[in-house]
Amino acid sequence: MRNIGLIIGREYRERVYKKSFIITTILMPLLMVLLGAAPTLIMEFVDGETKKIAVIDESGLVAPKLSSDEEIVFEISSKDLPDALVEASQTEECFGVLHIGKEIVENPNDARLYTTSSSSLMIEEYIADQIEKVIENERLKAYNIENIDEILEKVEASVHLATFRTDKEEESAATSAIASSIVGMLLGFLLYFILAIYGGMVMQSVIDEKSSRILEVMVSTVRPFEMLMGKILGIAAVAATQVLVWGVLIILFSAVIMPALMPANILDSVQQVQAGADVALLATQQDVSPEMLTAMASLLDTGHLAMIIGTVLLYLVGGFLLYASLYAAIGASVDQAQDAQQLTMVVTVPIIVAFVVTMMVMKDPNSPLVFWCSMIPFTSPIVMVARIPSGIPAWEIATSLILLYASFVVCVWGAAKIYKIGIFMHGAKPTLKDLWRWLKY
Amino acid sequence: MSNIITAEHITKRFSAHTALDDVSIEIPRGSVYGLLGPNGAGKTTLIRTINRITLPDSGRILFNDKPISQKDIFKIGYLPEERGLYRKMKVGEQALFLARLKGLSRHEALLRLKEWFVHFGIESWWDKKVEDLSKGMAQKVQFIVTVLHKPELLIFDEPFSGFDPINANLLKEEILRLKNEGATVIFSTHNMSSVEEICDHITLINKSKNILSGKVDDIRREHGGNIFSVQYKGDNKALMERLHGVCEVIENEESTTGFSSLKIHIARNEDIRSVVSLVNDSVNMRQFIETIPSMNDIFIRAVKE
Repeated sequence: MRNIGLIIGREYRERVYKKSFIITTILMPLLMVLLGAAPTLIMEFVDGETKKIAVIDESGLVAPKLSSDEEIVFEISSKDLPDALVEASQTEECFGVLHIGKEIVENPNDARLYTTSSSSLMIEEYIADQIEKVIENERLKAYNIENIDEILEKVEASVHLATFRTDKEEESAATSAIASSIVGMLLGFLLYFILAIYGGMVMQSVIDEKSSRILEVMVSTVRPFEMLMGKILGIAAVAATQVLVWGVLIILFSAVIMPALMPANILDSVQQVQAGADVALLATQQDVSPEMLTAMASLLDTGHLAMIIGTVLLYLVGGFLLYASLYAAIGASVDQAQDAQQLTMVVTVPIIVAFVVTMMVMKDPNSPLVFWCSMIPFTSPIVMVARIPSGIPAWEIATSLILLYASFVVCVWGAAKIYKIGIFMHGAKPTLKDLWRWLKY
Repeated sequence: MSNIITAEHITKRFSAHTALDDVSIEIPRGSVYGLLGPNGAGKTTLIRTINRITLPDSGRILFNDKPISQKDIFKIGYLPEERGLYRKMKVGEQALFLARLKGLSRHEALLRLKEWFVHFGIESWWDKKVEDLSKGMAQKVQFIVTVLHKPELLIFDEPFSGFDPINANLLKEEILRLKNEGATVIFSTHNMSSVEEICDHITLINKSKNILSGKVDDIRREHGGNIFSVQYKGDNKALMERLHGVCEVIENEESTTGFSSLKIHIARNEDIRSVVSLVNDSVNMRQFIETIPSMNDIFIRAVKE
């Protein structure tokens, strides 16, 4: 045991004290935030440039009702089309010319957009939507209904579905499918990356020990099993440290920074939602979407977050131990990383399958395929973690965790056998058949 | 004198070949024991079997007359042929780590390491990374780590390979010093001169078998029978004709300016006086003496047989 402790310590220190570890641990969350904010930021930059569109409206009905916004500004033009086009090509900020035919109400297709640079789907839809609305209104008006404008305003509605889980008593609070599936996806991603990256790290480090010939010195002192366990646990501790740091950062963010940044009235409603108030009602009062409100509520629920992070850690450690023992066995049986490619297929295929299934969790977190994949040890760490935010019965989590840890024990036993023989094999590249023979040796 | 290691009928097979075939050796406590043999003879496998890295298919290893167990490993220091250290670690940190794996406390390990680093004059390496050391430097560090926990038994696999003559000498001195302090040293080598200088016992392994074992002095005496060197001036051809069928000529160096020399083996039943007179009749003989063969000669002859 003392030896395993010493080895864990060495493996841990070698990695955690590295500059690159400290940098990625701190930069990764920042990068994630930036990545999340990127679309908004990009929009901000695009916004700085307003597009002017000259409107030649022969019908005279549409142009006055086109509403400009920060991005697109409509200017009514009285010129002929050819003149307007010439002018547009000479003025830099003019994006194009919108020509609307005389009979636009009868013939909705009689609208053309001439642009000086390439247009985008968004702009085209934006303009078409506006024209559509004008035409629809005009057509309705043709029926001569009284107070038509008022009626139209009242008729307009937009629907947000607030979802409630009724199968569980303790969680009567609203769950937001979109928020939980996004969080689930992110967690699935996280596990995928950590299993693949840290698993590869275990393999590389075994190969390094083999090629630097330190192994023989080590093995003359400690048992191969102690070396294997020490290495796996040491690197697992590194991964856990990284995730813990991220977890603490996230909880800090949700408990301290988010509330400080949020407008007081929204924060107030979020707290009411957490206390079990009616989401739909509050949403209407505060004029925000209920989806948004429930997402906020779960993001700001520190206890809930801590529970998720805790479960994720359990899966992370279990999944890592399982995969790391396989990676270590592969590393022990080859001389160079290049030789390992064929063998690593055995390990990467389940990881990728799990990753693909994770995409399906978004659609339905309780479909049979997803359920079974979250039970089978090789895919369960990734798939189950993606399901957790949608609320999973405790027995499912317990069963899949027990299966996961049990198969880890079996895998380590097998890996140790391969490891013991593999580390002294130099030269020939072993095949799966060789590994099977070593396993039975 | 009791034996620290007794290997009894060790056989080890790998899928393609037999590495050790019924090898038995006894290593007396306090000796410097040489394991000799051509490449691929099975020396390294025998060494790995002794320190429990590989288990034999049959036979057993006794350490101080009891079957060897994991706790005996702390009483062994092993320097493998293929030397390695963690490349990214600092020298001191790594030496400390390896020393603690051998069962030393952190405090004790630090004290002894400082002492050794001063002894070798390498204190300034403590904070260097291993990858910045030359091969010879790394070997010194490894030597220290091997002997640091004052093991009863030291095993060096090809210790002189890769050392320059100065460091090889230093290593020889250290090995003799350790012996004087009471340790038993086993080392494998093809370097025969080192065997003559420092070994008391040897075992010669060839093709997975122990073909020769014993005290160096005894072996030399036994195998040194009836080899003579002759120096003379005169007709080499005539001499060779006279000697033909009487004795075996091992070496024949003809010189036109100075003395020519011969090395001959005289069969035990042959009368030496008659050979001497034979030579004396044909050439102007200057010297006729018995020579004790070098380990090199014995090694080559034994392997050929």
